Amino acid sequence: MKPMLSTDLNAPDATVEKAKIEVKNLNFYYGQSKALKDINLSLPERSVTAFIGPSGCGKSTLLRVLNRIYELYPKQSAEGQVLLDGKNILDRSQDLNLLRTKIGMVFQKPTPFPMSIYENIAFGVRLYEKISKAEMDNRVESALKRAALWSEVKDKLNASGQSLSGGQQQRLCIARTVAVKPEVILLDEPASALDPLSTAKIEELIDELQADYTIVIVTHNMQQAARVSRQTAFMYLGELVEFDRTEKIFTSPREKRTQDYITGRFG
Amino acid sequence: MTAVSEAATSSAMRTREATVRRFAVTDMVFRAATRASAILVLVLLGGVAISLIAGSWEALSKFGFSFLTTESWNPVTENFGALAPIYGTIVTSAIAILIAVPIGIGIAVFLTELCPRPLRRPIGIAVELLAGIPSIIYGIWGLFVFAPFLQTTIQPFIISIFHGIPGLSSLFAGPPYGIGLLTSSLILAIMVLPFITSITKDVFDTVPAVLKESAYGIGCTTWEVTRRVVIPYTRVGIMGGVMLGLGRALGETMAVTFVIGNAHRISASLFAPGTTISATIANEFTEADGALYTSSLVALGLILFIITFIILALARYMLLRIDSRTGA
Repeated sequence: MKPMLSTDLNAPDATVEKAKIEVKNLNFYYGQSKALKDINLSLPERSVTAFIGPSGCGKSTLLRVLNRIYELYPKQSAEGQVLLDGKNILDRSQDLNLLRTKIGMVFQKPTPFPMSIYENIAFGVRLYEKISKAEMDNRVESALKRAALWSEVKDKLNASGQSLSGGQQQRLCIARTVAVKPEVILLDEPASALDPLSTAKIEELIDELQADYTIVIVTHNMQQAARVSRQTAFMYLGELVEFDRTEKIFTSPREKRTQDYITGRFG
Repeated sequence: MTAVSEAATSSAMRTREATVRRFAVTDMVFRAATRASAILVLVLLGGVAISLIAGSWEALSKFGFSFLTTESWNPVTENFGALAPIYGTIVTSAIAILIAVPIGIGIAVFLTELCPRPLRRPIGIAVELLAGIPSIIYGIWGLFVFAPFLQTTIQPFIISIFHGIPGLSSLFAGPPYGIGLLTSSLILAIMVLPFITSITKDVFDTVPAVLKESAYGIGCTTWEVTRRVVIPYTRVGIMGGVMLGLGRALGETMAVTFVIGNAHRISASLFAPGTTISATIANEFTEADGALYTSSLVALGLILFIITFIILALARYMLLRIDSRTGA
């Protein structure tokens, strides 16, 4: 007889969408100071979730836990569980490089690698896949098209990635992330260093990408959160104050603190 | 009321103008001082070049171009050729750099990316201390400790394993003297290692954390981040460190003079004694009695000056080419 316990009991409550990432009782420490306090939330698959909140509220920290990039720094540690498709990625046995190919990340400042535009994209792909030159050309082209950058760079693929404008560099970084075929894309204030036009392009792009990817975006810009996300988490002083559908958060928040923040009364 | 306030304003204006004038004078003095310092460098460089050329004129006009291509160096017949010291200088420096660059970069990568924090400072300080050891100490150590060690253990071993292999057998041909080109190269490698390491470490620290994070973020290992992101990002700085090391290796006198053997000949074997430009000058200046002899030594100095200059120019040119290729 099979002990039929765990799977059914642990299944998430009947939500409409399948959860891609579930965060359970997550605490995070910078040395002694606690930056995240008992976070619980569940991010649905193929949709955009925004983390908003004032500076220092822990939203970027939470994002950085999701691909364990924080582990580059010795004094930072996380407790609790982060389940990706039901598997705890905070587990010691989780291979970090593999995790990061599944969970891509784009940063606030564009970070093109010191190589050509083509190589910026091919580099990440080549790490884990052996594919022919022709396939690679296709892969680069489709990633650049995906990031709405192809028409601007197709004649100068051998130019340095650093020669592009800020907005183009950021789209190159998104293309690079997409090319590795991740399942989740983490965006850490991806448009805060860009002009309004580039920002609009990035937002359009995020909207298109959610058909295929689970996207998490940290943003200071509440209009941006309202425009691009389907659900929004409001964080304050390391706590998750409220997490709901975006319309709900922006029109009829449950919590007073959320209301105060989105109406600009503090933060 | 208005008159009073106007008077007050205009006197305030006057003080302000006076201050501005004073600033302008200080500024001019400052500008002139910095310009003079910069010009001083050019004057010194020009002065050194001119006196070297003047001093070496006698030798160069007597031997002409053959000074560069003649191996023999005979004070008795007053027949001088610079080929052996040039060869020794270039070979020992090149080998030293070949050995020191990978190790130096390795240490820098370890210190910046992998080293546990408590170990970082001790190792860093040890590397800097290595740079602080006077070259005479390297020379003594090389002659009395390192060379005998090579002579009795490493060299016989290498000679025996490469015996009979074409090319390698003549490159590492016996007998094991202990002193010689390779020994000098190893000592030089140890001496330039701290320069390369500390500069490489400093430029590695300038790589933005987000750039490394994004490379780790697409699944790179530390090796891949270093090889494909950190080193390309910092190549100009690394090249600077290598050039500094090379400059030191080319000009290093004392330690090399101790262990190179001071023989004016070119042999295929790296174990054979040889000489370098600076070792020759240091060894023979006191005994150079004839004017032609002295002039030949100065000509050697001029050649070293030119070699250093050419290498620096080549490095600049290489960097320019790399930059224009990647469009950075």
